Amino acid sequence: MSTASSNELPRVSEAASREPEKSGAVASKHKEGIESVLALLFGVIFLGLSVVVSVETLARKLFNFSIQGADELGGYALALGSTLAFSLAVMGRAHIRVDVFHERFPKRLKAALNLVAIVSLAGFAIFICWLAYRVLLDTFEYGSTAPTPWGTPLALPQSLWLVGLIAFALVATGYAVQAIRLFLNGSTDRLLVDFSPKSAKEELKEELEDLAVRHGGETS
Amino acid sequence: MSVPFIVLGFFAMLVMMLIGLPIAIAMAAVGVIGGISAYGVPFLDSIAPVVWGVQNDNLLTCIPLFILLGELLLRSGIADRMYGALSAWLGRLPGGLLHTNIGSCAMFAATSGSSVATAATVGTVALPSLQARGYSMRSSLGSLAAGGTLGILIPPSVNMIVYGSLTNNSIGKLFIAGIIPGLLLTGSFMLYIAIAALWSKESMREAEVPLAERIRLLRNLVPPAVVFGIVMGSLYFGIATATESAALGVLAALFFVWRSGRLDWSLLRNCFISSGRIAGMILLIMTAAFILNLTISLTGVAENMTKWVVGLGLSQTALLLTLIVFYLVLGMFMDVLSMQVATIPITYPIAMALGIDPIWYGIFIVLMCELGMITPPVGMNLFVVHGIRPDNGGIQDAIWGALPYAAIMLLFTLLLMAAPSIVTWLPLHM
Amino acid sequence: SAEDTLKIRVIGQPLATGLVQANKERPFFENFRTATGLAIEMDYKPIDTLGIKDTEELRVLKSGLFEMASLRFPQNSRDEPALLGFDLVGLSPDYATGRKVADAYLPIADARLQKQFRVKLLGVFPFGPQILFCNQPIKQLADVKGLKVRTYDQNLAKFIESVGGTPVPISFADTYQSLSLGVVDCAISGASSANSSGWPEVSTHQLPIGFQLAINGYVISLKTWEKLTPEQQAKLTEAVAGLTNDIWAYSETLFADAVKCNAGKDPCTTGKKFNLVDVPVSDADRALLKEAVAKISLPSWAEVCDKADPNCVASWKSSVGQILGIQ
Ligand code: NA
Ligand code: NA
Repeated sequence: MSTASSNELPRVSEAASREPEKSGAVASKHKEGIESVLALLFGVIFLGLSVVVSVETLARKLFNFSIQGADELGGYALALGSTLAFSLAVMGRAHIRVDVFHERFPKRLKAALNLVAIVSLAGFAIFICWLAYRVLLDTFEYGSTAPTPWGTPLALPQSLWLVGLIAFALVATGYAVQAIRLFLNGSTDRLLVDFSPKSAKEELKEELEDLAVRHGGETS
Repeated sequence: MSVPFIVLGFFAMLVMMLIGLPIAIAMAAVGVIGGISAYGVPFLDSIAPVVWGVQNDNLLTCIPLFILLGELLLRSGIADRMYGALSAWLGRLPGGLLHTNIGSCAMFAATSGSSVATAATVGTVALPSLQARGYSMRSSLGSLAAGGTLGILIPPSVNMIVYGSLTNNSIGKLFIAGIIPGLLLTGSFMLYIAIAALWSKESMREAEVPLAERIRLLRNLVPPAVVFGIVMGSLYFGIATATESAALGVLAALFFVWRSGRLDWSLLRNCFISSGRIAGMILLIMTAAFILNLTISLTGVAENMTKWVVGLGLSQTALLLTLIVFYLVLGMFMDVLSMQVATIPITYPIAMALGIDPIWYGIFIVLMCELGMITPPVGMNLFVVHGIRPDNGGIQDAIWGALPYAAIMLLFTLLLMAAPSIVTWLPLHM
Repeated sequence: SAEDTLKIRVIGQPLATGLVQANKERPFFENFRTATGLAIEMDYKPIDTLGIKDTEELRVLKSGLFEMASLRFPQNSRDEPALLGFDLVGLSPDYATGRKVADAYLPIADARLQKQFRVKLLGVFPFGPQILFCNQPIKQLADVKGLKVRTYDQNLAKFIESVGGTPVPISFADTYQSLSLGVVDCAISGASSANSSGWPEVSTHQLPIGFQLAINGYVISLKTWEKLTPEQQAKLTEAVAGLTNDIWAYSETLFADAVKCNAGKDPCTTGKKFNLVDVPVSDADRALLKEAVAKISLPSWAEVCDKADPNCVASWKSSVGQILGIQ
């Protein structure tokens, strides 16, 4: 969901993304696998949560019965689910960037800014990891227990949260390392193709492809 | 904390955003660096519990849920079929399919929390047929860009959730408050289309679809209507909280996807990836916003601004008119979500100090966001509909096409100022 | 001179907590310097304006970003369960008992907070008795059997369960609607906050028996405390004691007034008049609630608290238990 104001298509990006480098092909296979796993976990968490919360809501209304704690579970689901979502957003280049000026800059500056963007994102991811680690240390020290019917030991959800954040940091750092390598090799073009803010055009291309699939699949 | 320091921070943030750093990074960097330079290391230690507090907030859980709900309806083709049904019903009106655009946007808005998703969904379905039937590209693009913004006024709405969680207001009440203004704005858009069509005398109309066919097509409206009914009904009747209503909505949407015979891993994978990306983007910005918010409230800048503005002795109307200009300008350059999280901590206390109703102000902010989506140079919905257009025209078509709608939104905001009960009546009667 | 002025950042109660925050706490901190003559500038920030969750107060204090706080005990019991010892369900059916409990337990909670979080507990105060509202006729506490009752924490939920009711955790903001639509039949909250939120419009009966007193307290970080001269320490302690004494009295007045207002009786000066049936509190009700301390509140609290600190319940029994005869 980034912004693009020009009606020009970033042509480099179109052409190049169709002919990935060989190492890129392997990397993109890995990428797809990781993305699928993250997406599956994300989906399981929120579909599962929907089931639990719906049961709680209906049981409360219809049978005067409350399982007490669906809201607590929702908080933990968000903590873990958001970390997975952060990673998915990195992989999909969805962390929003304004490209209205960016795309008018000279090539080399654009490439350098792309580098700064991904490195700072990785830095932020590592920073949040460190914060989460501090939170968890305190939780262990105090033996904190949620003041709720379940009395969940807080270390449990917070450990999962930290694991999710570490995954986010790893994913972001992986991309950052790749960008640094490209920069050092002088592969400015690839740095432009793979790390530019995702323009509205690219995003819509994906939407249109999906639409074509939906309509193609419609036999009636 | 000195004023130049704060101004410097704000400009640093703006520059970082405009040169293309991720929005979340720009906000977090200013928050963290500003906080540390003013309060030293203790600031760093206190961010940690704040970050857990945000990411563990059950209230925000409804963001990924509502996004997932919209994705399920979109990727299963339910939204596409809805457009077909609505065009059979609305196509006879003067202005033809343009009404269908607005109607479909409003209906899709009732199940989706995002404006971009609404414009993109309805736009991808609508534009090819609009072009084939010779509709003016300018009015087609304008109606889609503007119609799309209904996505955040008609509940559910990600921007209302963000507002509610930043200001501790009931998300349920905000949703309910959005219904009447959402319908009225939809009506205003359609009225404009009809008048413009009759005025220009080249009124486009669609051939009449036989009644039997139209009635048959109504079944395609059932899934979105049922999902909306479940989400809003459970909120309105106090059966569910916002997060619970989102969960019920997700299951209902999943049921219709299953009924449509499309439920398989590839569809689910697409839905999960896509909603994960959007949710991740929003939630990272929220995390950064709370870090920035801590710095802002520690500096007391919000309080000082409030005192200063209150000291000016402005009336509510004068304040709101000023804010309209402020948001109109800011919305031209900023992404609306970032605009919202960056300004609410400052403008909300001011509005409250002058006695403006918090729910009403939430709807006002949402309208300002809608406006920002269709004003150039940075207008997300303009880019979206421009990107989908099948011919090779320039972005100016979308801009000019959406301009009348921006004017309508401004007039509509004035109407809400004159008659605030349009917003506050329904939530009061929950 | 300004050089010598100490600046203390204070986390306050949320703006929405009502009259105690608005009329007592906030003015106290904002006028601290002129009222006490101490060269201390209190920078008071209600917690909801900071974007910090109230469960995180102790951790934020420990970081050193704030030096004082109006600590919300129920929320912060997550990190320090000893705080719940002030306010077990059924422990203090009236203000007099509540005050005795508070005085007896304060040194113990203080020692624990100093050791764990390096903060000193200067004083505690009540928001007021949390009482029962129902939208159908009840004659006594035992009548909640079979009814759905809005509760706000786990000890209260256990008590409601023990008398045969169904506890439903609903946020304060959503309770009005839930009562009006019959999502719940009863709800528990403070008399005054219920009045200002219009609960009496959607209920018919009130039973003014205090399940809990909603105890909260003022803490200061030891680091800041140790920076003060003994004289300043004494003055600050005295000032906070003055504030808490004031709130104890104010809260009692507010409570009596709000109960009258809810029932449509006079005098009613702080709230809106409604016409709830005032169910008289019987000895059986008091006995039922008192029984709950030893049977439910204490054991369930002990389980959590002793895990964090093996001496937790023992020291509670030696102080509070001693004076109330609970062993
Ligand atoms: Na919507
Ligand atoms: Na704009």
